[in-house]
Amino acid sequence: MKARLQEIQTLAPAIKRLSLAPENGGEFPAASAGAHIIVEIPGPRRVWKNAYSLVSAPDERRRYEIIVRRVAHSRGGSAWLHDHAAPGQGVEIGMPVNLFPVAATAKKHLLLSAGIGLTPFLSYLPVLKAANAVFELHHCCRLSEVDAFRALLPAGEKIALHTSRNTLDLAALLNTQKLHTHLYVCGPEEFMDMAVASARKLGWPEAKIHRESFGGATGGAPFRVKLARSGLELQVKEDESLLEVLEAAGQSPPNLCRGGACGVCELPVLEGLPEHRDHFLSEQKRAANTAIMSCVSRSITPELVLDF
Amino acid sequence: MGMNKSRPVYDKLRIDPAGRAHLIVTDLAAVPEDAVQEDLALSNAECWVVGLSAPGVAIETSGNLRAFRAVADLLGHLSHRLEREPVGLRLYAAGSEAFLWDVMNLARQAGLTEDEVFLTQAGTLRRRVYCSHCKTMNENVATNIVICQGCGASLFVRDHFSRRLAAFMGVKVDAEVPGEVPEIEALYP
Repeated sequence: MKARLQEIQTLAPAIKRLSLAPENGGEFPAASAGAHIIVEIPGPRRVWKNAYSLVSAPDERRRYEIIVRRVAHSRGGSAWLHDHAAPGQGVEIGMPVNLFPVAATAKKHLLLSAGIGLTPFLSYLPVLKAANAVFELHHCCRLSEVDAFRALLPAGEKIALHTSRNTLDLAALLNTQKLHTHLYVCGPEEFMDMAVASARKLGWPEAKIHRESFGGATGGAPFRVKLARSGLELQVKEDESLLEVLEAAGQSPPNLCRGGACGVCELPVLEGLPEHRDHFLSEQKRAANTAIMSCVSRSITPELVLDF
Repeated sequence: MGMNKSRPVYDKLRIDPAGRAHLIVTDLAAVPEDAVQEDLALSNAECWVVGLSAPGVAIETSGNLRAFRAVADLLGHLSHRLEREPVGLRLYAAGSEAFLWDVMNLARQAGLTEDEVFLTQAGTLRRRVYCSHCKTMNENVATNIVICQGCGASLFVRDHFSRRLAAFMGVKVDAEVPGEVPEIEALYP
């Protein structure tokens, strides 16, 4: 969809809120709480396709809002949005997709976020409030950004901000939730890994643990990829993902979340050892090394041969 | 059973190691040995039973046993317990099919998902039959045809099991030709 940047607001030195409107007026499709869009960021030498959660209320159709953190060691998309994006610029965005929806059967929602991982919950809040749902939000962030995050949140005793691990007793929180509670976690990988591991250790079933994959691809060692069907040989550089390289070469590999969560971009591996960075493949499939999630995963061996 | 999609398939009783706490409930005095997986470890499981007259294998190894006077009594306490229980519990039910789904429905109301509840059929194969005409539940039906206690109709006990009602469907057997009732057979011991 064609969109135009409207307001750009600095919330903290490394955090900006951008609002987008349909290029020729009118309305965007309705999204649901937890949805994200892919934004095509037109860099000087390449196009980045990054996923951002919508932070505007799900029924807001005249504009979409996203919040972007400038990531120091990113592949460049967020830095470009911070340094070069300006009101009036046209950008291409994808349809909203939701891989992190509110669980309809839950009677209580326990939301845990860290840093920029707060963003999907900003679209949850109006929906949970409107439904009169029972919820509790714990957001962890650095002290220097606590005011910026607090300004985004309504006041209420069910919302707590933590600037140090000492104020959030995760085990006690997870150990006292009733059976009808669902857990949602979003934030940096280490934060989500820790929260999910704590929940599992206390017996939480997988069906009640919801995890957003945030941030998407990060760089790594370069590798070569050979496409068995076309014979094409491509180089994946440090700051590129396999999926991006395939797209740049004119291929149309399937993809959806671009964050290693949905499983749509799975490609069969014929030779080489993938470095799995996704959350989709089971332990068994991971160990078999016969499939790779092209959006986030890379290669341990210098070359991968794909059945594609 | 394979072709009948309404009939649930049950496993032997086994403990899910991912759980923090384990509660086994049965409408029997004990979980029969042949309903239990061989290497079952019950050391930290609670076990709720009904009556205490029959000898039981499984419950003897359980550290925490509680006996109820009647099934309704057990279900009432279970509902109360689940409302207060923190996440991490795994619930196991062993017994008649009607009991299993009474437990499952209570569990669902309390917010348990199918990943947290395990059902094992044991004991009687008698059926609870729902009269699709007057909505009466007829308990402990051993025969293919039963006279409905609510409306007096002769009900054919279909092989169609409703998980929501925890009962088999009963429909009037002589609807086409009143009075023409086939021979009654005892099928469900």
